[in-house]
Amino acid sequence: MSGPLIEASSLVVRYGAATALDGVDLHVRAGELVALIGPNGAGKTTLVNTLAGIVPPAAGTASVRGRLGVVPEGRQVFGSLSVDDNLRLGAWRLRGRDTSAIYELLPELVRVRRQAAGSLSGGQQQMVAVGRALMGRPEVLVVDELSLGLAPIVVASLAAHLRRLNAETGLAVLLIEQNARLALRLCTRGYVLESGRIAASGTSEELSRSADVVRAYLGGVPT
Amino acid sequence: MTLRTAGPVIAVAALTLALPPALSSKQLSIYILLGLAALVTLGLSLLLGFAGQVSLGQASFSCIGGYTAGLLAVHGLPSMAGLLAAPVVAALFATLVGIPLLRLRGHALAFATLAMQLILLSLLSQADWAGGAIGLQGVPRLSIGGLEFAEDLSYAYLTWGAVAVALLLARNIVASRTGRGLRALATSEVAAAASGVPVGRYRLAVFALSAGFAGLAGGIYAFYLGYLSPGSFPVLLSIEYVVMAVVGGLGTLWGPLIGAAGIVLLVQVLNTLGTQPGMPSYAPSVLSYAVYAALLVLVVLFLPRGLAPVPRELAARWRGASSKPSLQEAP
Amino acid sequence: MSDFLQYLLTGLGIGCAFALVGSGLIAIYRVTHVVNFAQGGFAVIGGMCASSFLTAGLPHGVAEILAIAVAAAVGLAVGVVAIGRPGTSPRQGLIITLGLGILAYAAEVLIWGDQPRSFDGVPGATTLLGVRVPTQYLLIIAVTVLVFALLGLFFARTDVGKALSACAANPYAARLVGIGVTRMGLLSFALGGALGGLAGVLVSPVQQVTFDSDVLLIVNGFAAAILGALTRPILALAGGLLLGVAQTLVAGYGSGAHQTDVALALMLAVLIWQAARQPTVEEAR
Repeated sequence: MSGPLIEASSLVVRYGAATALDGVDLHVRAGELVALIGPNGAGKTTLVNTLAGIVPPAAGTASVRGRLGVVPEGRQVFGSLSVDDNLRLGAWRLRGRDTSAIYELLPELVRVRRQAAGSLSGGQQQMVAVGRALMGRPEVLVVDELSLGLAPIVVASLAAHLRRLNAETGLAVLLIEQNARLALRLCTRGYVLESGRIAASGTSEELSRSADVVRAYLGGVPT
Repeated sequence: MTLRTAGPVIAVAALTLALPPALSSKQLSIYILLGLAALVTLGLSLLLGFAGQVSLGQASFSCIGGYTAGLLAVHGLPSMAGLLAAPVVAALFATLVGIPLLRLRGHALAFATLAMQLILLSLLSQADWAGGAIGLQGVPRLSIGGLEFAEDLSYAYLTWGAVAVALLLARNIVASRTGRGLRALATSEVAAAASGVPVGRYRLAVFALSAGFAGLAGGIYAFYLGYLSPGSFPVLLSIEYVVMAVVGGLGTLWGPLIGAAGIVLLVQVLNTLGTQPGMPSYAPSVLSYAVYAALLVLVVLFLPRGLAPVPRELAARWRGASSKPSLQEAP
Repeated sequence: MSDFLQYLLTGLGIGCAFALVGSGLIAIYRVTHVVNFAQGGFAVIGGMCASSFLTAGLPHGVAEILAIAVAAAVGLAVGVVAIGRPGTSPRQGLIITLGLGILAYAAEVLIWGDQPRSFDGVPGATTLLGVRVPTQYLLIIAVTVLVFALLGLFFARTDVGKALSACAANPYAARLVGIGVTRMGLLSFALGGALGGLAGVLVSPVQQVTFDSDVLLIVNGFAAAILGALTRPILALAGGLLLGVAQTLVAGYGSGAHQTDVALALMLAVLIWQAARQPTVEEAR
């Protein structure tokens, strides 16, 4: 188990005639916080779907070693089910149904545990989505667009939760984000995905100082 | 129209003009029924393929058209008036019924159209003024300005004339701005509404138009057969039309023709098989149903766009066109 | 008054059968978004099989349960064709089930012929509230209430039930979490088959089953499910009871010929009223 938890090698994924990912190489090792930034339509969600096994590669490989948890773009909670049920379903593959650890981590959910997930605020739903993914006791977590549609203060709180999880449990995280500033601040290393290809990679420091990255994703202001 | 599209049209038109005199009496009646089915299916295909609405009660409109024509003629009005009234009354009925009914969507609408037909048939069976369950008898022959349609041949030409007119009408609508709006309706009502397409009015208009086509077919049928009953328009007939539309290819103009031709001919083959000595009395209808059903399922699974696109795709493959899939045409 | 009570009770009985057929539709729709037009066929198969098994000498109880199992298997088969192939849309699934329903109708005639069949259910009549009602109707009501209660518990309390609801709520997320969405869909089809079969088995003793005289059961089962918006079993139960009672009252006090029309018109009215309360334009499924 010494290889990377997530490894994509010359990964090519197609939807019909369109090529969504065109020779992508990336990896995430145990305990790492890795960012994947890039604009809309770059292929980020396709990568998530391929890693989760929903979309097959047309060429190259995408391998996941260890348990994968996915926090999908747009929360995707089970709206008609309660928060509790949403969390428990996260452990579907494991058969364990103990939610206490999640409620300890995300105490804001305790109050609404019996409420239908569809009736919660965006931030609460995002917490449910994260909690649900964590219920599968993953070794690596893929988070797709954490910040989309959420107030900055909520996003900051969620990011803090992720950082704490990483520090305390060694959970590896692949953070897929349009908000490059957030992603590079939270993670130690990152990739830039543009039009299905890796345009740049390096440590967060290197990327934050790269003129291209700054211009395209950091609003012209280096962090 | 380019030469490529004009070619098949001219060929088919020539065929339909030349064929009737060459057919035997039995074949002629099949030919006529085929034409009438194509007429109804054309309307249904517009509804299903362009406006995206499922109707499981299309035969009700034929029923209304037929009874309108028949009743008017039986009560002494000139038969031409009856024939012209048939599509109009059917379309009016559809408009009236459509106003409440079209508030429903998808499967609720499908079921509602089914319910509409069941209620109509049941009421008609109780209506003594329309002949009740036994039906309307003695509908006089169609005559236009003294020229009587006494033979099958004349009905054959009449039927296909009606189909031609309907095809022209459909083609013009589809190619027009209205047609684009309709296609937008089929793919996404929300987007269409946002683009300014008057969704409610268009849905109603297509519904009424399809009813008009079906009504005209019913009217011709009334004069041709001289006899009508509620039993001539069962629910399974409506489903047959759906099969024809789907098998032929939704949202195309050739589709209904191909579908109707295919199914009607298939039914004839099955009838012959089913009436072989030794087969139980219910065999013909059961065989037909089994085959429609299987056909419907197979087409939906393996040929979702129906038979109509097949010749073009085969021709393209033959010509060695590149294997890269092209952009999808309008659904 | 006793007439009224009699109609009421038999109406409730037959209404429960409608609700059972409808509940099968709901089970399938909730999970797969496919409207199963073959649902009535499951009821007919259930009734016919029970009749055949009893004629073949199997004891009461065993024959019925076996018949329901057969109906469940048929439901599963329909599911395989309707949703087994990845990429089949719910609208295609609807048309496929329509075709399979007709195929089932043809198969039924081929296997059982076109003569009506019936068999004995619970014998005799009971006196309830001063009215004599064939006991079979009371059995129908009792079983239906039990089944609906169990269904409610199943969907709300068991893991599998919640997984089924999750598939209906968000199939993408369900897949991410590891729920086999297609497998769940097939399970719901088998469940729909069993529920339909149960309805057929219960109703045959009081209403002869043939391949087309059970149009009443099919159409009303649909109507009940649609009144429940294809997703709410309790509303379907209420709708079914309403339809059943309306029909027996119309048949009893008016004319038997119009009973289905009244029911259908009632259902249409409710549907349109429901739709009128939702002014937003909906996406077609």
